[in-house]
Amino acid sequence: MKALSLVSLGAGGAFCATFALLHIAQGADSSAELARFGKAYAVVRANYVEAPKDQDLVEGALSGMLGNLDPHSSYFDPRTFAAMQVKTEGQYGGVGLVIGLDESLVTVISPIEDTPASKAGIKAGDHILSIDGKLITGQKLDDVQDKLRGPAGTKVTLSIIRQNMHDPFDVTVTRQVIAVEAVTHKRMGDLGYIKIPAFNEHTDSGLRTAIAALKKEIGPKLKGYILDLRDDGGGLLDQAVAVSDDLLDGGEIVSIRGRSRDDTQRFDAQPGDIADGKAIVILVNGGTASASEIVAGALQDHRRARVEGTVSFGKGSVQTVIPLDNGRAGALHMTTARYYTPSGRSIQTTGIVPDVFVADSSDRSSSFQSLIGREADLPHHLAAEGTPIKSDVASVIRPDPKKAYADFQLTYATQLLNGPHPARRR
Amino acid sequence: MKKYGLVGMGGVAGFAAALMMFPAAHGSNDGSAYRQLDLFSDAFERVRANYVRPVQDSELVNNAIEGMVSGLDPHSSYMDAKTFADMQIQTRGEFGGLGIEVTMEDGLVKVISPIDDTPAAKAGIKTGDFIAAINSTPIQGMALNDAIDKMRGPNGSKVSLTILRPGTKKPFDVNLTRAVIHVDSVKYHREGDVGYIRVSAFNERTGPGVEKAIRDLRAQIGNGLRGYVLDLRNDLGGLLDQAIDVSDDLLASGEIVSTRGRHAEDTQRYDAKSGDITGGKPVVVLINGGTASASEIVAGALQDHKRATVVGMTSFGKGSVQTIIPLGPGGGALRLTTARYYTPSGHSIQATGIVPDYAVSQGDDDDSTKLLRTSEAKLPGHLTGEAAKKQNQTVIKPAPGKKYDDFQLSYALDLLRGQKTVAAVTKSADAN
Repeated sequence: MKALSLVSLGAGGAFCATFALLHIAQGADSSAELARFGKAYAVVRANYVEAPKDQDLVEGALSGMLGNLDPHSSYFDPRTFAAMQVKTEGQYGGVGLVIGLDESLVTVISPIEDTPASKAGIKAGDHILSIDGKLITGQKLDDVQDKLRGPAGTKVTLSIIRQNMHDPFDVTVTRQVIAVEAVTHKRMGDLGYIKIPAFNEHTDSGLRTAIAALKKEIGPKLKGYILDLRDDGGGLLDQAVAVSDDLLDGGEIVSIRGRSRDDTQRFDAQPGDIADGKAIVILVNGGTASASEIVAGALQDHRRARVEGTVSFGKGSVQTVIPLDNGRAGALHMTTARYYTPSGRSIQTTGIVPDVFVADSSDRSSSFQSLIGREADLPHHLAAEGTPIKSDVASVIRPDPKKAYADFQLTYATQLLNGPHPARRR
Repeated sequence: MKKYGLVGMGGVAGFAAALMMFPAAHGSNDGSAYRQLDLFSDAFERVRANYVRPVQDSELVNNAIEGMVSGLDPHSSYMDAKTFADMQIQTRGEFGGLGIEVTMEDGLVKVISPIDDTPAAKAGIKTGDFIAAINSTPIQGMALNDAIDKMRGPNGSKVSLTILRPGTKKPFDVNLTRAVIHVDSVKYHREGDVGYIRVSAFNERTGPGVEKAIRDLRAQIGNGLRGYVLDLRNDLGGLLDQAIDVSDDLLASGEIVSTRGRHAEDTQRYDAKSGDITGGKPVVVLINGGTASASEIVAGALQDHKRATVVGMTSFGKGSVQTIIPLGPGGGALRLTTARYYTPSGHSIQATGIVPDYAVSQGDDDDSTKLLRTSEAKLPGHLTGEAAKKQNQTVIKPAPGKKYDDFQLSYALDLLRGQKTVAAVTKSADAN
């Protein structure tokens, strides 16, 4: 391989012949393709209008190679990789925006309350045109998010386009540490409602606290729980496993399968159900992704919960960070495996199909869903496996158009748990 | 040169061939070059071995080369084997387009007008439509030239456009079959005692078209002919040889343009042959932010030789040359920026653009201070120009309350006639 690279950096004419021969003789051998890259690299080094930096060329190449595999794979250059280390240490700041792509325009889905973004008046539906004077249109969402993040206390300037405003305007905000999104709960009659907005290191303990508090507040009348996973984009796998384990008495929670059999990992539930077997309805929608889909899939497969709402996002892939040259050359952030629910379903693209299809009442939610789309809508998404599950659209339960519901899916969930045919643990 | 010219300001004669003998890597960079190549090999092997599903080696390398090249500047790119083959069909004259005039607005490509009897017109594409994606590739952040390139392709090949139509909620796809579009790039008419020549693009008919225009206008207007207006506004360029021909028509001698690469031996100079087909009549060249590439060569050459007065707003600033470099059998080709253009006085057009002799704004809408005005300097990753001299220039605008169909043209006509019919105000502005 190295010898070939040398050839490619040397003389072109002789090399073409070598290339052709190799191609025929060895078929899928990677050397020929590597040599082709070596040749392109040599051509650019020698002929580009300015002397390029070797490092920039290879970083561009890695970025192109990884970035086109699927929407979640990417290359972290050394600077980004170093910044990521900081991020996991928790002193990293953000502006407090949930963003999505709308026809390749970066769009604010919602500003998080009490964050720099919401205080600066950034609104849902605003388009972000540039960050610190650099155009971000056409960039990947991950990259945009990275640009918004930075050390707490530093400033960032966003150029915003707002509907009905002719000209874009600039907003400068100071990054701050964004409080991790906590699990919240409330009593709804004899039912306990628990909302999990994200899977972070506090999620499992948050769920335990919520269930303990609801048990205490409602007492023996407690009929069941609503676990709201709508618009929960996921997060940490171990927390998804822990949350599922809290509510399952045994059995597999999820398995992760890579290219080869040896890569398969299984996660099983330990005995004990902190909800004491009480009925559970899980709410999902198109914004329910990744870790949330693991929980919904596990509880659905074990018939521990009924899943209600609309089909989830369908992000069933695992990314691994592979440092290059001990991180000095950045790292590959690459999809290496898929998640499977206990019954062996891949979540990828298909998502979790609810037991009860219930449409949402609010316009905001439907526009939100069309805004972020689903995994299957992302360019170069990893394909689904197995036969596609057909959803019977006719059986979607919709709100009575004459009545106003603040949250029809939630109302319907309470009916499922309270109604004439209460959901029971089967 | 003609062979590749259609792709953009493409090949310079003989250049691509010379490049096939790569100068061997030399000097202190060697270590770094190999280290980086090793790093790439390492990453490549990891992806091959560990990515969730097997991927074709050729696909990985295609994407790597594309990533390497497209990160250099907005005009460099990689053509895989198929795209390269398609391009070669184009250059055999079987080159197809859709038949729409487009512009850039709010970062999207906007349809100015579909041309009658073309695939676009037949498919119902309308004035004011926005093109959001070409073959599902979003065009946000893409340079207009590059978006146009993507719409072009072999005659008979298919392309799908995602259209956003104001008043229609959802974007929709339109499938079109490319056809050979015959667009006359030169139009002309008499403006009293002045010959007005509009050049909308530099294609293979442009040089002869300008010559015919001048002949006809001379015959029509006769002895009273005061001069010419050469309108290069929103002309995004095209073929280098045609830009040279048009400049040569109006210049009696001297250098027109030079292209300079990394190495001194790559420099090419193009000189005017004797003879000025206008007989030395005064010329005003109109430019604006949409004047790019080949158009900037003409404006720059005529300005430097003081052959023409340049009126309008600072031009786009695309002063780079792309060369097509094939990577061997089945290997596709690089479209690589290999040189810059320089005007006869030695100014690089890149990023700076052509600064008019009279900065004349069409009105408020045309204000160069507008944030979304596109120029080379605003493209992500653009090649930097030479340090531009900051100069304060006054911008001439229509007087408040006055409306003109085309204030810049009216101003140009006044200049040629030595009169002042327009009501103008001047404002101090930063020309950069």
